[in-house]
Amino acid sequence: MGEKALVIDDNDNNLTLERDLLEVAGFEVFTAENATSGIALARKELPDIIIMDMRLPDMRGSEAAKMLLQYEETRGIPIVFVTASVLAEGIEEIKTIPNAAFVSKPINTRTFASEIRQFIK
Amino acid sequence: MFGKSTVTKAQEYSESIINTIREPLITLDQDLRVVTVSRSFYEVFKVNPKETVGQLIYDLGNKQWDIPKLRELLETILPQETTFENYEVEHDFATIGKRIMLLNARQIQRALGKERIILLAIEDITERREIEAGLEKTRKELEVIKKSADEASEFAESIINTVREPLISLNQDLRVVTVSRSFYEVFKVKPEETVGQLIFDLGNKQWDIPKLRELLETILPQKTTFDNYEVEHDFTTIGRRIMLLNARQIQRASGKERIILLAIEDITERREIENGLEKTRKELEATKIAEDDAREYAESMINTVREPLLVLDQSLRVVTASRSFYGVFKVNPKETVGQLIYDLGNKQWDIPQLRELLETILPRKATFDNYEVKHDFATIGRRIMLLNARQIQRALGKERIILLAIEDITERKEIEGGLVKAHVELEELAAELGRTARVKSEFLANMSHELRTPLNSINGFSEVLYDETFGPLNEKQKKYVNNVLTSGKHLLQLINQILDMAKVEAGKMKLSLSPLPMKGLLNEIALLVADMAARKRLEMLIDIAEDLPDIEADELRVKEIIYNLLSNAVKFTPEGGRIGMSAKRTGPEIEVVVWDTGVGIAPENMVKIFEGFFRVDTPYSRLTEGTGLGLPLARKMVELHGGKLDVESEGLDKGTTIRFTLPIRNGEGD
Repeated sequence: MGEKALVIDDNDNNLTLERDLLEVAGFEVFTAENATSGIALARKELPDIIIMDMRLPDMRGSEAAKMLLQYEETRGIPIVFVTASVLAEGIEEIKTIPNAAFVSKPINTRTFASEIRQFIK
Repeated sequence: MFGKSTVTKAQEYSESIINTIREPLITLDQDLRVVTVSRSFYEVFKVNPKETVGQLIYDLGNKQWDIPKLRELLETILPQETTFENYEVEHDFATIGKRIMLLNARQIQRALGKERIILLAIEDITERREIEAGLEKTRKELEVIKKSADEASEFAESIINTVREPLISLNQDLRVVTVSRSFYEVFKVKPEETVGQLIFDLGNKQWDIPKLRELLETILPQKTTFDNYEVEHDFTTIGRRIMLLNARQIQRASGKERIILLAIEDITERREIENGLEKTRKELEATKIAEDDAREYAESMINTVREPLLVLDQSLRVVTASRSFYGVFKVNPKETVGQLIYDLGNKQWDIPQLRELLETILPRKATFDNYEVKHDFATIGRRIMLLNARQIQRALGKERIILLAIEDITERKEIEGGLVKAHVELEELAAELGRTARVKSEFLANMSHELRTPLNSINGFSEVLYDETFGPLNEKQKKYVNNVLTSGKHLLQLINQILDMAKVEAGKMKLSLSPLPMKGLLNEIALLVADMAARKRLEMLIDIAEDLPDIEADELRVKEIIYNLLSNAVKFTPEGGRIGMSAKRTGPEIEVVVWDTGVGIAPENMVKIFEGFFRVDTPYSRLTEGTGLGLPLARKMVELHGGKLDVESEGLDKGTTIRFTLPIRNGEGD
């Protein structure tokens, strides 16, 4: 199997599209619809990369990232935020988080998987 | 008479006499022809020597001397008597009119020979006769006067004691003959110390006044009368007084004695009154003049100012009102002048505040400024009046007048009120606008997020389908899914640009500056567009200067700008046309020009194209192709970088040239 990717998004369609694109590119994909279950899944599956929306139903993506930093097992996992919000605050928020990057939504389906792969060390 | 021995001398003498005396004189020979004539003869009878000497006396001056009486005298009397004296001849002379002549003649023997000459003196006594006749008449009249004077004298004495005016009669020696009762009273003297006394000695010589002496001793003997002589004198008994003296010197009925009637009138008080009156009159005149002047001045001023003005007297009655007063308050002079201010126009001015100002404040302060009085006027409704008053002293005199200026500031107040309200509203609006802008940008940020999320699915899935990632599509399926993708991408572009505009307008657009290799960047984008241009068979000319420097700018934004402009050029240029891009350095900036030979821009749209969502529907482009935000956003981005973007077009179908600059070194950020 290829790299493990965890996608956290509350939008079913986006979750499906991203999972499809990553799976087509050879990723083993886990999905979660909120931060709490996503964090739990990350701690369980220890993915190579976590892809999450900036806005999640239970908390902000940046808050979820900080929580992941608190756990030894998840601290080193790179996080890619997929965001539709191009407001500066969102980007600034991401910059404060180590191992974090972002791709803007809507995603380019032809380049999405390779972009994600770049963030894996 | 002349001696025989001294003929020559006598002749000379006679001629000299003849020419010296003023009386006309003529010498005749025995035949009564003129031998010599005195100069005065010529003058009196208005004749000249030529027509006189050698002539028969009767022929002289058109025979005017042919007087029967003269003939008688010369031809009858003189030969007998050798002389005649004082013959009066009244005759109508041709040259000098009716005259009375007194003729004196002497017949004298000439020194040598038997000849005789006649010396005839002609005296015109016409005037003398007239005077004599007048004298006689006067004498007769005088007699009548004397009689009446005697009667008058008696009458006078009888009234002396009745008249209130001190009266004194003096004899020729100026001693008191009679004194009126009032004299004693006025001068506080008694009859025993008065009658028989010299006037100058009366009452301790208090009447010894130089002027009176002059009047009685010098003027009166000459004139027999004097009238209204004023004598100012310090009388011992009654103090300084002005006396009016009138005197008549009259003949006493009984004899030749004359008496002097002296009326003494004490006009001290009268003079004082008169002086006072005169002073008053002059003051009045001065006041009137000053007042007239002042009034004229004031009235002209009053009628000139646009502000209604009232002039009130001390009793607050209207003296004058300005024309504008009548105009503003819709009243006429008849119902205004002379009225109490409070009674004007149905007592509409009976305002408690005005009463206070005029009756309480003004007397104390003599002025008040800018008192606002709000009042419901009968004629003009509720108004706010601004009152200014001055209390001024009239030029001469104690009177004061009040100048009251009334300015209707209702409209001004309304405007002021309106301004304040407008200002408040404006502030509220500005605050509201600030809120709205914040809400708008928040809304747009939210909206763009919410829109992008479904678009992410739409575009993503249609792209996956189009790419046949999970299996092949038939041709129609592929075409339709491409339509979905194209529309989705257009929608995405629209959302992105709206969001960018919102960010720029909210001041939230941040540039991420980095060094940009402009030559490469421009060529890169030109390549992107070249495909589009080729499809429309457009000739594309790229002219980038070799020395074009790198600049410091936001790469993404600069790419957007250039791509927007170039794709617009392709979009708005018909097939077979030309588009182009040139770039060069201009001082501290680079200048990029994107041009085309396309549809151009009508002059009336030059401003609209920057307002957003303005799109031109042309045969060469479909509405769905553009957002109308590309050009406005490009300008915003250029300006955000510190450059300028301008559009040139000579009009529709004349092509478009867009020129923009970007600074090489950007001062913004670091």
